[in-house]
Amino acid sequence: MSDSRIRPRIEFEEAPAPRLDFDPLPVGVAPTGSVMPESGTVSTILTGIAVLVLGMALLQTLNFVIAQFDRSFVLGCVTLVVGVVGFGLIGSGVRRELRGLLGLRVVDRLREQLADPMQARQAALEWLATLPEGPLLAEAVRGANDPQTIPALLRAGPLKALRERSEALGRAAALQIFAITAAVPSPALDGVLVGWRGARLVRQVAELHGLRPGLFGTLSLLRRTAMAAGAATATNLAVDTVTRSLLSNSIVGHLAGDVAGAGVAARRMVVLARAAATACSPLDPA
Amino acid sequence: MLPAGLQLGRRTVRIGVTGLARSGKTTLLTSIAANLIAHGAGLPALPALTARLGARQMRVALAQNGVAAMPRFDHLAHLAALANDPPRWPSRTGAASLLSLDLEIDRTGLAAALPPRQIRLELLDYPGEWLLDLPLQGQTFADWSAATLERLGRNPAAALARDFLDFVRSLPDDGAVDESLIRHGVARYVALLKALRDEMGLALLQPGRFLMPAPGAVPDWMQFFPLPGASRLAAMMAERFEAYCQAVRDDLVSPAFGRVDRLVVLADILSALHAGPAAFADMAGALGLVAEALRQRRSTVDFPQWLSDWVPDWVPGWIAGLTAALTGISRTAFVATKCDHVAQRQRGNLARLVSSLTGADGRTASFAVAAVRCTEDIAWTLDGRTISAVRGRVLGSERPLRSYPGEVPDHAPDKAFWQYPFLSLPTFEPARVPLNGRGGVSHIGIDNLLVFLLEDLL
Repeated sequence: MSDSRIRPRIEFEEAPAPRLDFDPLPVGVAPTGSVMPESGTVSTILTGIAVLVLGMALLQTLNFVIAQFDRSFVLGCVTLVVGVVGFGLIGSGVRRELRGLLGLRVVDRLREQLADPMQARQAALEWLATLPEGPLLAEAVRGANDPQTIPALLRAGPLKALRERSEALGRAAALQIFAITAAVPSPALDGVLVGWRGARLVRQVAELHGLRPGLFGTLSLLRRTAMAAGAATATNLAVDTVTRSLLSNSIVGHLAGDVAGAGVAARRMVVLARAAATACSPLDPA
Repeated sequence: MLPAGLQLGRRTVRIGVTGLARSGKTTLLTSIAANLIAHGAGLPALPALTARLGARQMRVALAQNGVAAMPRFDHLAHLAALANDPPRWPSRTGAASLLSLDLEIDRTGLAAALPPRQIRLELLDYPGEWLLDLPLQGQTFADWSAATLERLGRNPAAALARDFLDFVRSLPDDGAVDESLIRHGVARYVALLKALRDEMGLALLQPGRFLMPAPGAVPDWMQFFPLPGASRLAAMMAERFEAYCQAVRDDLVSPAFGRVDRLVVLADILSALHAGPAAFADMAGALGLVAEALRQRRSTVDFPQWLSDWVPDWVPGWIAGLTAALTGISRTAFVATKCDHVAQRQRGNLARLVSSLTGADGRTASFAVAAVRCTEDIAWTLDGRTISAVRGRVLGSERPLRSYPGEVPDHAPDKAFWQYPFLSLPTFEPARVPLNGRGGVSHIGIDNLLVFLLEDLL
């Protein structure tokens, strides 16, 4: 009886082929941290209004400068200088705002890269380069054999120092708040002061971490701080108070109810400093 | 005292992963860890597990090792090797290690309102060589010596074992106990075991700790070798053999290597098919012995002796079974690895072949898996007929290779099977690892294996 089986065989193909890839990212699944929400309607409208106001003002100013040159050369020059200085300052402010916002994006990117064993070393070195004591640790990071060692080194070194300094800032703000709210008789004014000092504290902590947020950067940072505090579960109220004090239109009414006393407000400053440090840091403190 | 697996609010489940030589233990552990973590991050890495969980979520995080004495299994380094371009297969590990994952699984039904179930999943990289010490339990030194020497005298071991067998035959029947002679014999026996493992690819090599000694100094009771007869030397060897078996029993209940709740036993069946009938018989014998030893252990070792003495004879056997289920290995999976080296049509045969070699009961199942997939299925026309084959790039080459190594039988192969040699398995290049491993690792059957192992916890 003949055997009808096919003989086993192994053969190379002639043409080269790329490495097999079974798992292109599924549709709708993006890497952690890269999800960008679309601009909201309000943001679009506000941007449109800003472009109209600034654009029209620029055009009007240009027309006005040309008209002034028609009247007199000296008047034209003076008007031109005024216009350039004015719009230069506006441009400088916009640039600072954008840089502040971009700085927050950098934190997001570093956070993503530090979580990735393949990119953790490069991200750690990049972050260390922005810190005063960074070069001291850079060699240890370069020499780490295990990718998991790198976050541990950062947590034990610069992250710990930054948290201690943030908490010191929080304690200083707490002392000020304690003194002010004890001295000011109006609960409504207490609320305004807490809001103002809290926002300043968040900016101070951000600057400690190498960020320089402007107005919009601060608002974004407050939102992140609120989320960081939400993750910590114990600090919602503290951050909520400050956030609402800046974002709400009826600041005084809300805060008057929330800030029950000087001691509570002061304690919230310390908690706020911790939450802000978490929001500004590319690594979780755990 | 509470059982070791029950700690405040969190249950600890330990899965021992072990296997015969070169079966891909390190790669399987890496794949399980990477895919579980990716699943926890919401990526579709384990479809069968997702289907089993339904709408519920399972969060997964690496757990801290704390003060554990066991080294941590470095899955990130192995993942990095696979994700590299060009990639490398993880290097062989020489020591036991442990990887702990924390799972949080939403509850179902009326319990859905309760906090999620918390499980510490410990993946223990258990030395495969030690697995073959289980069948030694219950054997006498004389029985073991006779069986071992008989096996060494047959092909394929006979050529390499000739010198050692001549040495054993040269020992006088009334030989005195001479420690230097014993050490010489042990050195020759260990060298023979290593040669049989590394050069012949044999698996049924006992005692296992001779090939993979436990950490620390080698104790005197490891100084023995198979020796027939009833001489004083043989009596001394028998004493040491008993001490060795006792040490194995002690290890089975030790905190480091004991308390294994579920066990995965890996075997590279396809390579054994290629190595020929003698090597296949060796592997089949090893798997069969291990399966039988595990069945016996379930019903004896785990059942506490004092309770066994106390329980009267009229107590139904199912109570003993229940006790064993609570304290011993509750599920065992026998796994044929590298199944992506044959086409999908043959993978079912591969799982059935493992099942036929190990036997099956309610708590044992057989699988064919590829921990890291490295081929794709193709239809290939050979001799005017279209067959299912696989295609992938060989490590270090950019040209793809088509492979049809032969038919996989669904039971122990007969003489007709060996007429055509089953071809060797090329070292294929692992498929690209998405997101540097954060997106899991492409695999075959890891999800079904996990569903079987964790079914009662899901």
